[in-house]
Amino acid sequence: MATKKPRRSTAKPAARKKAKPASVPAMDTKMALALAANPKKSIAQRVAAAVQLTRTACDDAQLFDEILAVLKDGTVPSPVRLAVLQALQAATFSSPVFDICRPAYLSALRALVKDPDKELRQRVLGILAREHDGYTQQLLLEGLRDPKKAVVPAEKALQLLSYDVHSDAYPVAREIVRNPPNQRARREALRLLAADANSVGMFETILGNKKEAPEVRQLSASALHSLAPKKLQDMARKIVLDKRDDHKVKATSLTALASFGSDSIARDKPLIAKVERLEGNAASSAVKRGANQFLSKYRP
Amino acid sequence: MAIEILINGSANADARFVSWALSPCRIRNNGAGAGGAALNVKLRTKATTKGGALVFAPDAATKPKDSIALTLPGTGAWVDFVMAGKFGKSSLADGDAAIQVLDGTTVLQELPCMVRIRKDANKLAKGERDRFVNAMAKLNNRGAGRFADFRNMHTNAGSPEAHGAPGFLPWHRIYLLDLERELQAIDPSVTLPYWRFDRPAPTLFNRDFLGMSDTLGRVQFSATNPLQFWTTDGVVGITRRPLFSTASAGANNVLTEAQTLGLGSDYADFMDMESNPHGLAHTSFGGSISSIGTAARDPLFFLLHANVDRLWAKWQRQFGRFDPAQDSSFDSNAANGGNRVGHNLPDTMWPWNGVTGAPRPPTAPGGGLAASPCVNVPGLQPFVRDALDYQGAITATSRLGFDYDDVPFA
Amino acid sequence: MLALEASLSEAQFCAAVGQLKADASKRAVLAELLRENNPVYDERGTAAVVRMRGWILLAIAELGLTEPELLYVLEELDNGHDAYLVAAAARALRTYATPAPVFAQLLLRALGNMRSRDDVVSLTTYGGYTIVEGSTARQEILRTFAWLGAAAREALPELEAMRGEAGFSAALKQELGLAIGAIGAACAEGAEPHDCCSPQADAWKPAPGAAPLNMQTVTLEDQDGRRIGFRELFTGKSSVVAFFYTRCTNPRKCSLTIEKLARVQRLLREKGFGDRIQTAAITYDPAFDLPDRLRAYGASRGLTMDDNNRMLRTVRGMAALRGYFQLGVNFIESVVNRHRIEVHVLNPRGEIAASFERIEWDEAAVVDTAIAAQQTGTA
Repeated sequence: MATKKPRRSTAKPAARKKAKPASVPAMDTKMALALAANPKKSIAQRVAAAVQLTRTACDDAQLFDEILAVLKDGTVPSPVRLAVLQALQAATFSSPVFDICRPAYLSALRALVKDPDKELRQRVLGILAREHDGYTQQLLLEGLRDPKKAVVPAEKALQLLSYDVHSDAYPVAREIVRNPPNQRARREALRLLAADANSVGMFETILGNKKEAPEVRQLSASALHSLAPKKLQDMARKIVLDKRDDHKVKATSLTALASFGSDSIARDKPLIAKVERLEGNAASSAVKRGANQFLSKYRP
Repeated sequence: MAIEILINGSANADARFVSWALSPCRIRNNGAGAGGAALNVKLRTKATTKGGALVFAPDAATKPKDSIALTLPGTGAWVDFVMAGKFGKSSLADGDAAIQVLDGTTVLQELPCMVRIRKDANKLAKGERDRFVNAMAKLNNRGAGRFADFRNMHTNAGSPEAHGAPGFLPWHRIYLLDLERELQAIDPSVTLPYWRFDRPAPTLFNRDFLGMSDTLGRVQFSATNPLQFWTTDGVVGITRRPLFSTASAGANNVLTEAQTLGLGSDYADFMDMESNPHGLAHTSFGGSISSIGTAARDPLFFLLHANVDRLWAKWQRQFGRFDPAQDSSFDSNAANGGNRVGHNLPDTMWPWNGVTGAPRPPTAPGGGLAASPCVNVPGLQPFVRDALDYQGAITATSRLGFDYDDVPFA
Repeated sequence: MLALEASLSEAQFCAAVGQLKADASKRAVLAELLRENNPVYDERGTAAVVRMRGWILLAIAELGLTEPELLYVLEELDNGHDAYLVAAAARALRTYATPAPVFAQLLLRALGNMRSRDDVVSLTTYGGYTIVEGSTARQEILRTFAWLGAAAREALPELEAMRGEAGFSAALKQELGLAIGAIGAACAEGAEPHDCCSPQADAWKPAPGAAPLNMQTVTLEDQDGRRIGFRELFTGKSSVVAFFYTRCTNPRKCSLTIEKLARVQRLLREKGFGDRIQTAAITYDPAFDLPDRLRAYGASRGLTMDDNNRMLRTVRGMAALRGYFQLGVNFIESVVNRHRIEVHVLNPRGEIAASFERIEWDEAAVVDTAIAAQQTGTA
């Protein structure tokens, strides 16, 4: 293959090409790659060279393989590998130019899902999960079922699996809601289940349960808003009217009513009266602000 | 006496929005009665401590000033003039820039309007921020609102229409305009703010605005921020893990604004900004914004692209690159027989054109481009060339109706 | 022999397919396994369904593709978006007895579909995941072009044009060159392609005209929240009924189906049947696709929605509906894990007069069928 792709080489006839200002040193792929891979250079120099690969990474199949080799090389310092990955990710934004490199790119990423570099591993798993990659989903599910095999913590695995509503993560997510290894994992499991229409009852229970952490109840409000919006509106009204409910959950409820409620709320006298009192007297500034937003829409 | 004013060709309140580019206006005295005397009036901005200011000129060829004198015929005939926001004096809210029509020192008429400008997200006033956030949340409406179309326009399937070729900048300019017009249909005082990715933005990455990410990349909102209900693809919430300190640094390894503007004075050179800073800004995060197929699930996407578009606008202003007929304003790739479809100046743009099937994507969700009460271009089905002269610098009627706080007109 | 059912682990499934391969008397089971509603796919995620279907296609490729499985292979080429399945389908097609010109059109479409979705897959591994070596879907497609030989004659100009395109790597261009060479050589030999079968004809198989017996239990809700019984809605007029769901990630399936249904509506109006024939789009995902989601999805795709044209979700009787249409869909929990493209024409008694399935359907053909059903039904 030619060293330059046709679009760039012919799009810029020499006559039109202007010299780049000194602040942006132009570097061809070969040079940038050699510099990024050179252990004698400082890490900063190597990182600066690596990000230059963005524009031209996919111009040449052989060079692309060499770039992937640097990415895969565990002896290359982490910041350099991460910069190479950043550059390649940025290059994917220039599809369809990148399309020809996509198969090699994806299989290189799959080779890195168990890399000892935690940050690199996590980024790679994210990229693949967003492509709904079956291999990655399988690996993440395995890790959730058997933590000894986990390549990322449970909360991260759940977050990555939630990129695809079609993955079979619902049963394991439900189990984690019941027996969470930590509260973040429970939160991410709930968020994943917020795509599952069968979980409406569970979210109603959590939102209505004052013993649950406010953050989890707020998340349940968001889930209900997506899955059963009328139910959320009814529950939000109750929460606002409840003297003893948590102020954060109350503010979230006011926001739900203000942003997504129907115009008939303006005729709900007991609710309006209550919110007017909250606007004036609430101890929490969030509730006051929520009440103010509510009233700016529904005030009689 | 009955003073009537048309702004952007309309007497309606929804057309009383101006930017730095010149809005065509008309005024008349319709109450002088038959054979009435001509009336000499002065037009100026009503003085307010905060708020926008306007400038006026009798025609597009004359440099606009803070006030102009006009003679309104007794016949009730219309008198044309042009009006714009005074550069640097944008509005904070709808109606805070009022036109005053004076006869001597007597105020004959006041007409509230807005100098509506796209601004640096990190510097937005709280009211501006809240209105934007509210309009975005309503447009999304738990994934069932119009936002779903914008999410579906920017996917792997539609990507060739928008990336990797000279149409990158025009396509995204129209895409943002479409979104902004939809937001303005919800709240006309809203504009799309931009994220200056070469600078820290602590006010933007804040729980009251676009949210703060925890170490897991889960974006947290305050209880009064309606973006807590953000839903895309049936999934609740936003995943975004900045790989840099949003409070004290810009995105990782991105060119600064000065470096970006220095890429070259030919579009063919400036286009390299698709990789850096654009691509590197996207990939300075973990989470949905760093992959092409999921990027539009994060509302930050639109602020990132508003900055990409602002850089293009600034570059156009710096080098005078508005004219589609000028070679250096675009890369027609003439030597190579042109660009692929959707990336040449005379091409229509997907999905607004509704064209489906190879080489275009299989479907075109969303229909035509949203209309604006202020300008009637670029129409339902824009062409690539329509994106270039966004201020109407070459042809006054090409004005798309938006401007950036730091890119003047002329 | 393991019973092929939902409780099988994937490893057991893999072994069961191995046993099927070895037993010629069980050959018909392979095609049965390609139906989405086969219980073996109950409660599995989409990725698992892809692995399983891929493995069946590869088993078929080993045995030689036969008529009952052909439509499933062509379906993947027409609208598949997983590189593993498309590669396996392309490989399976090469084992069919007779190359036919109609295959070339579907292979061209598959090349386009895989353009920005291609991947390296191993066609000897269950699931196809590989980090070492394998082939890409586009390589497999081009190899199948070479096999088609003279039958791909009409695709030659488009293949030739691809030589100059930027979207092909050097390796792929080499494969392209081989395909073009093989087609050219076969044509030069004067080989005459057989015109054995058209996928449209195959796709259009009237389902058994089951009467809507148990359908009184089925209640639907439309985009405006109005509820109506299945029998009430589908009696008295012919209907064009398409299935879809809003969370579908393959634009060639649901998004396109609804855009095409909008074109059907326009054609019906042009022919003066706008009031006499109704259209309906029913979601596979009724728990999630609430009325405002339905309305927004239809509006984005230019669909007319009124009393005669509705988007619908099932609020009661989903099982009966699935049984009645033999819907090509399966689920994990309430989420679709795989589905086919399907559009059905109902006569004025609500009986299925014709079904268009799996391969992209022709709007005019659907409209003509609906008009015929209307005229027969009211005669």
